[in-house]
Amino acid sequence: MLEVKKATKIYKSGDNIVKAVNNISLSIPQGKFVSIIGKSGSGKSTLLSILGALDKPTSGEVIIDGKDVVLMTEAQQVDYRSKKIGFVFQNYNLIPNLTAIENIMIAMEFAHVKKIERAERASKLLIEVGLSKDKHNRKPGKLSGGEQQRVAIARALANKPKLILADEPTGNLDSATGKIIFDLLHKLSRSENTTIVAVTHDLSVAGKTDLTFSLKDGKLEKK
Amino acid sequence: MEVIKRGIKNAFRNSIRTVSIVFILGLSIGLTLTMLIARNAVDEKIASVKTSIGNTITISPAGVRGFEGGGEPLTSAQIDKVNEIKNVTGTIQSLNNRLTTDNSSLVSAIDAGSLGQRFNQTGGGQPPSDTPTEGTTSTSTTRSFTPPVMILGTNNPTNLSQSIGGGDFKLTSGEVFNGDETENISIIGKDLAEKNSLVLGSTFTAYDKDIKVVGIYDSGNSFSNNQVIVPLISLQTLTEQTGEISSAIVTVASISDIDEVVTEAKNVLGDSVDITNGADQAKTAIEPLENIKSISTISLIGSMIAGAVIILLTMMMIVRERRREIGVLKAIGATNIRVMAQFIVESITLTSMGMIIGTFIGFLGASPITKLLVQNSSSSTTQAPQQAGRGMGRIMEMGTTNIKNIQVNVGPDIILYAILAAFIIAIVGSAIPAYFISKVRPAEVMRAE
Repeated sequence: MLEVKKATKIYKSGDNIVKAVNNISLSIPQGKFVSIIGKSGSGKSTLLSILGALDKPTSGEVIIDGKDVVLMTEAQQVDYRSKKIGFVFQNYNLIPNLTAIENIMIAMEFAHVKKIERAERASKLLIEVGLSKDKHNRKPGKLSGGEQQRVAIARALANKPKLILADEPTGNLDSATGKIIFDLLHKLSRSENTTIVAVTHDLSVAGKTDLTFSLKDGKLEKK
Repeated sequence: MEVIKRGIKNAFRNSIRTVSIVFILGLSIGLTLTMLIARNAVDEKIASVKTSIGNTITISPAGVRGFEGGGEPLTSAQIDKVNEIKNVTGTIQSLNNRLTTDNSSLVSAIDAGSLGQRFNQTGGGQPPSDTPTEGTTSTSTTRSFTPPVMILGTNNPTNLSQSIGGGDFKLTSGEVFNGDETENISIIGKDLAEKNSLVLGSTFTAYDKDIKVVGIYDSGNSFSNNQVIVPLISLQTLTEQTGEISSAIVTVASISDIDEVVTEAKNVLGDSVDITNGADQAKTAIEPLENIKSISTISLIGSMIAGAVIILLTMMMIVRERRREIGVLKAIGATNIRVMAQFIVESITLTSMGMIIGTFIGFLGASPITKLLVQNSSSSTTQAPQQAGRGMGRIMEMGTTNIKNIQVNVGPDIILYAILAAFIIAIVGSAIPAYFISKVRPAEVMRAE
C-alpha cells in the first residue's frame, strides 16, 4: 500500500513561491498500475520525486510499506531507494559505458545482492523484458530506444521493488514501441504484484491503467 | 571492488582526453620528480661540502702571521685543550721554520728573481749577504738574496694539502711518516729534490743533523715544492722548540658549529692567540648550491600544484559532464561515498598513468637537468675566486669544483616518490570534485531532461 497524506512541496523561484505539489493525498493498493496525467509544469515529476524518496515534501507524509519516507535519514532513504523502489526514466538514463547486463547488476550491487547471484538474475530479467541474449553485453549506445527502455525496466525490477516509478516511460518512443513497453509494465504489475506509478502525456495509454489521476497546478484529481 | 573496477574503466571512457591528460600529468609528475631528485642531490652535496670545506679554524700566536710579527709561541698543551671542545673532530699542529745555507746543506729550488730581490730590499726575505753583484762595475755592495727553503713540522701528515700552503699534496714516491715519529726523516718537494739531486734514501743536513729523505711529493706549484716536511717532534727537537708550535688547524664537525667552537676556543686560550676561520668564504662557495636548492624546491612545489590543478579541472569537467549519471547512481541506491570513491579511483587511475610517464621522465631528466642547473649557477660565480684573496679564492675554487662534481642518484626510490606525488596530486585534485558530487541531488535526474 502506498499512501500520501497532505503532501505539499514549495519551491522558491527567485522572488516567487511555487507550490509544485499542493496538499495532495492519495492511496494506492499494492499491485495496482496507476497513471498520472498532466501538462508540463503541473508537478508530475515533483510528485514522483517525493514518492521515490528523491526529494522530501515541505509538509505531509509519504507512507510506503508502513514506513514514512519523509522521516527517514538520508542513509535510510538511500537504502530504501535501492531495495524498495525501481525507477524508469523517459530518456532511459542507463550508464553509457556499462553493458545492458552490467546496468542491471549495478542496481543489485547497491542493494548488496551477492555477486554470484547478480549475473544470473540480471540475465533472467533481460530475457523477461524481451531483450535477446545476444544483446545482453551491448552498451546502451548499441541498442534501440525500445531496447534501452526494456533494460531500464529490467534495472527497475532488479531488486524486486514494492514500487516502480516511471517518468514518461514511452515519451521517447514511437507509438508502437511505446505500447509494447506499456503493456510490459502492465504485465509486470500483475505478475510481480508491484505497484507502478507512471507519469504520462498519452491519454490512450493512461486509459488502460487500473487508476488514473490528473495533476493540475499541483492539485490531484481522480479520473 | 566493483567501485574500483568502474573507476578504472571510467578513466578510459574518452581515449583522446585520457591520453592528453595523462601526458600532461606525466610531464608535471616528471618535473616534480626531477626537481625532487635535484633538490636531494644538492642537499646531500651541501651537507658534504659543509663537512669538507671551511670547517676548519686556524689558531696562531697573537700578533704573528707567517714569519712576521711577534708575541709568544703557541704550545701543544694549549691545543690539547682545544681538542676537548665539543664538535672538534681533530687538530693538525704545525711548526714552521726556514732553512738557509747557514743552517742547511739544501739549496733553494726557487730563483730570487727581481721579485725576490724586491721583497728582500723591503725586508721580506732572509738576511742578506754583502757580496758584489756579478758582472757589475759598481763599487757599492748589493744585497744578494736566495729564497729560503721552508721546513714544516707536522703531527698529522695524513692531510698535508691543508698544511703545505697551496696546491694538492701528491706523494710521487716513498711513503708518509707517522705523526708521532721522532726520527730525523723527511718528505721533500719535487723541485727541491731535483735541485739538490736528492732521491729516496738520500740525506741532507739541517741544524747540524742528517735528515733522511723517505718521500718525495708534488703539489703542482713551485712554492710548495720547495719545502721539507718533517715530524713535528723531530723539528721541535732540532730547533730546540720542544712543545712549541707555530699554528694549529682545528677541524670542526660542520660549518654550522664553527662559531660555537671559535667562542669556546677563545675562552680556553684567552688573548694569547689569534683565531681565524674560513666559514664565511665557504658559505659563499655554498651559495650557488643553496640557490639551486631554492629553485628546485620552488619548481617542485609549482609542478605539484600544476599537476593537482590539472587533475582538479579534469575531474570538475568530468563531474559536470556526468552530473545526470551521478544523479542516476544516487537514485538507484548508490551512497555519496560510493559515488565519490568511484570518481577518486578514476582520478587516481589517471594520475597513476601519468606517474608511469613521469617516472620515465624523472629517470631520464633528473641527471641532465640537475647538471644544467649546477652549470648555470656555478658559471655565475667563476669570477669570484679570481677577485678574492689567496685563501678565500682557494676555498671558493674548491666550492665551485665541488658543486660541478655533484652526484645525482636516480634509484628505485624514485618510484616511491612518484607514487607519493601521484597520490597527493590525485587526492588534492579530487577533493573539490568530490564535494560537488556530494551536492548532486538525485531528484535532479527527474527534472533535467
